[in-house]
Amino acid sequence: MRDFLRRLRRSGETARPPHAWLGALGGLALLALSTVFVIGGLELGTGTPRRLGTGAFPVITGLALAILSLAVIAGDLRDSSEAERPDWISFAAIGAALAIFALSVGRIGLVPGVFLATVTASLPDPSLKFPGKAALGAVVALGCWGLFIGLIGLPFKPFAWN
Amino acid sequence: MKQFLLCGAAAILLAGPALAEPGKWTDEPVRIVVTFPPGGTSDLIARILAQYFESEFGQKAVVDNRPGAGGTVAADYVAQQAPDGTTLILGNNAPFTIAPTQFDSLPYDPLASFTHIAYLGASTPALFVQPDSGIASLDDYVEVARTDGITYGSSGVGSITHILGKAVDIDLGIEQIHVPYQGSAPAIQDFRAGVLEAYYDMLAQNRDLIRDGEALPIALAAPERSPLFPEIPTFRELGHDIVVENWTGLSGPAGIDPEMAATIHDTVEAVMAMQPVVDQLAEWGITHTAMSSEDFTAFVGGTIETWAPLIAAAKVNGG
Amino acid sequence: MDILTGFGQGLLVALEPVNLLYCFIGVFLGTFIGVLPGIGSMAAISMLLPLTFHLDPTAALVMIAGVYYGAEYGGSIASVLMNIPGTPSSSITCIDGYPMARDGRAGIALFASAVASFGGGLIGMVVMAVLAPALASLALNFGPTEYFAVILLGLVAASAVSNGSPVKGIAMVVAGLMLGTVGVDITTGAERFTMGIPEMRDGVHLVIVAMGLFGVGELIVSIRANAAGAHQNAIDYARFYPSRKEWKAMAGPVWRGAGIGSFFGALPGTGQTVASAVAYAVEKKLSPNRANFGKGAIEGVAVPEAANNSATQTAFIPTLTLGVPGSASMALVIGALMMYGIVPGPRLLVDHSDLFWGLVASFLIGNVLLLILNIPMIGLWVRLLQIPYRYMYPTIIVLICVGVYSVNNNVFDIWLTLAFGWAGYLMRLFRFEPAPFLIGFVLGPMMEEQLRRAMLLSRGDASVFLTRPISGTLIAATVLLLAWSLFAAMKARRAGRPALALSDE
Repeated sequence: MRDFLRRLRRSGETARPPHAWLGALGGLALLALSTVFVIGGLELGTGTPRRLGTGAFPVITGLALAILSLAVIAGDLRDSSEAERPDWISFAAIGAALAIFALSVGRIGLVPGVFLATVTASLPDPSLKFPGKAALGAVVALGCWGLFIGLIGLPFKPFAWN
Repeated sequence: MKQFLLCGAAAILLAGPALAEPGKWTDEPVRIVVTFPPGGTSDLIARILAQYFESEFGQKAVVDNRPGAGGTVAADYVAQQAPDGTTLILGNNAPFTIAPTQFDSLPYDPLASFTHIAYLGASTPALFVQPDSGIASLDDYVEVARTDGITYGSSGVGSITHILGKAVDIDLGIEQIHVPYQGSAPAIQDFRAGVLEAYYDMLAQNRDLIRDGEALPIALAAPERSPLFPEIPTFRELGHDIVVENWTGLSGPAGIDPEMAATIHDTVEAVMAMQPVVDQLAEWGITHTAMSSEDFTAFVGGTIETWAPLIAAAKVNGG
Repeated sequence: MDILTGFGQGLLVALEPVNLLYCFIGVFLGTFIGVLPGIGSMAAISMLLPLTFHLDPTAALVMIAGVYYGAEYGGSIASVLMNIPGTPSSSITCIDGYPMARDGRAGIALFASAVASFGGGLIGMVVMAVLAPALASLALNFGPTEYFAVILLGLVAASAVSNGSPVKGIAMVVAGLMLGTVGVDITTGAERFTMGIPEMRDGVHLVIVAMGLFGVGELIVSIRANAAGAHQNAIDYARFYPSRKEWKAMAGPVWRGAGIGSFFGALPGTGQTVASAVAYAVEKKLSPNRANFGKGAIEGVAVPEAANNSATQTAFIPTLTLGVPGSASMALVIGALMMYGIVPGPRLLVDHSDLFWGLVASFLIGNVLLLILNIPMIGLWVRLLQIPYRYMYPTIIVLICVGVYSVNNNVFDIWLTLAFGWAGYLMRLFRFEPAPFLIGFVLGPMMEEQLRRAMLLSRGDASVFLTRPISGTLIAATVLLLAWSLFAAMKARRAGRPALALSDE
């Protein structure tokens, strides 16, 4: 990733803002998460030293993480290297592919589910035209059928519409 | 204290009218859903059933492991399937007897959501102590528990061995310190390392430890003494009516056609009567009792009722 | 029984054509299935379990063991080629293996992994043959206090594997520990942070976290990188035989990794993960090439593979002699034995000595077969990388989906993978590393369990961790390792500061 960014930079891409703000954001996210666990843990009860309660471990780890995330924020704020370049299109497409697989595999079966997920995942890459994407989907779908159901014998239904 | 088990002895004589012949009941392959990951006794029983269904009766069957949340994931899944005989569950006390009291809400009803078809068998747990601890009887045990306190290992919170520990607490008026493990093997490891003073586990699985003098069983939670170790007294003989058995049975979603259910029941009984299966189950310390589907359903209902107070007691503090 | 005669007899058993055949089937199938993301030895073994009904116990066990370490090796192929670890220990292999592959050295990385696995497996086998009774009693000296200390050591080592700042590494380990508490609390049965979702009661499955954070997260990053043609030049796909220098660099790490691995392997459950993390952390401190760790150092591939595979061998000791399975796959091994009425336990070594020695010898045969099988395959695996990425990545995403779905046959797991995949991508933006998180996540529940058990048994006295000799020693080692990491980081920062200051101006 970092290598790639360096290469991108050399090829004359626009400069990126420093990593500092993004790093601080990451630290804040950790801080927020640890707060949830500390509060949740306190609600669950921390018990006694002899019989530690359900919430004891979340509270201990949550407090440790809160302190560490402050240290992370302090460290990253001094980081002046360039930030990573987010790729929200791929982010969305891969998410959609997983979602479509989740929605379809139980309802219409493995083969159509795999087909739809493959095509969705291939959307952000412009170098493959749509017929190619569909062909890829078909090949992968048939391959999965043969491999997972035929060969390995996993208890999936290839088609499930009725 | 009430008896914890509705005994199925009478059921042997009335093992259901022979309406059906054992044999194939559907052209589709049957999935036997198991509430545990592959490898345990429960999984192996399912695999034996699947194998004999196919080899003896031409009924194709596969094992489908859906572990999780004390067996409730598997039970919920099966409850939602079509009652066409293609989805069955190898049920046990976790999703059917314990979960209804253990969890605040369940997505299924252990009786109304299922057709309980065939009872497969049960194994019994015992109380084990360190052989060099000076404890040789249940009376000694109570004595030590009252004066110094005693730590015991179970195979998990809400597991059958925890519930047995709770039953002993209540019936004997002691307070043992419960240390839960994930399965009995790690508890036994800690017991052998000397950090635990006692544990509850299935008798047959501890055969070698008993013979090697590594663990001393002092009481058995069965209705009668075990043929394996006839010298071990039962809790009942010692004046404490504690019978806790780890049962297994085959059920399907509610609404399976009675004729088909009868075929499944009789096929299961036929498999359970085969010599290799009988030997294998004996090896694992599981005793099979023939029960009609009606008796099995009543049995499941009975265990929920009789165990509820113990499970509730175990749930309060995890101790 | 004398070790040599025992081993000799075992070798005769293992070399019987039938056992040889099943050993081959086992390692072949294991490798093949281990490469598929999310489908590990579990799926392979349960698939073969019905087949073993018809085999004699030794043949069955030899085959199952073959599947088990074949899948471990297959998992490292997936780690190197796709950055998808099949097990927590192969997440350590990812740290250097994947950069090597991106560097055009996938072949060498796979070769190094095969040779180190072989070396580690061999050393583990020798240790197992010679020290089985001693290692079994070692495990018996480990109570909750000692396990807690071992896990602590593993966690500190895991934070040291990170390339970035040590603070971020520790933060990731702790975040893993914290998220590991999601699900039913095994000590009280109460639900924690499950949001009332029944599927969350057992927490998040390891495969989901690994597939999400590593597989999906990395995939999102690499789509644009590959579309831009970033790594398609100057790659020597054909070269997979390491140079003399690379051979030499591997030797030390293999010995040290295997030594560390054999020791930790005997501790059920924690063994392989802790072994790989500790071995990698130690190597990162000792190696003359430590500056390249994390950027594609061959030592960084060799050491966790050697540790992991020697631990895999010695892990059979607690499984067979104590009946304590260290992993779900080991539980299956116990299951297979139970089918034959063989109850794992202290008497197994005596009552079934032919089976035990046959198994030990089959490790030798299996590892040789694995090597013979895989060296020629490396060229084939590397050629997979030549398939244009536009075909590869949608296929990988689907393999991840199916793999995750196959774990519990539950659609909910795919949604969780989506969440962890997105989180994995954001972690990369924030420059957090997934490996320490994954290790914290795996060891967290065990750590909590042992901590609470130890406190319960000591009646609330925390000083037992320091006063019991084994745990006291381990905790001292942990403190030493932590001090060493922080000291090294401070020194590096002091050395780096003038340079940074210059570039700032």
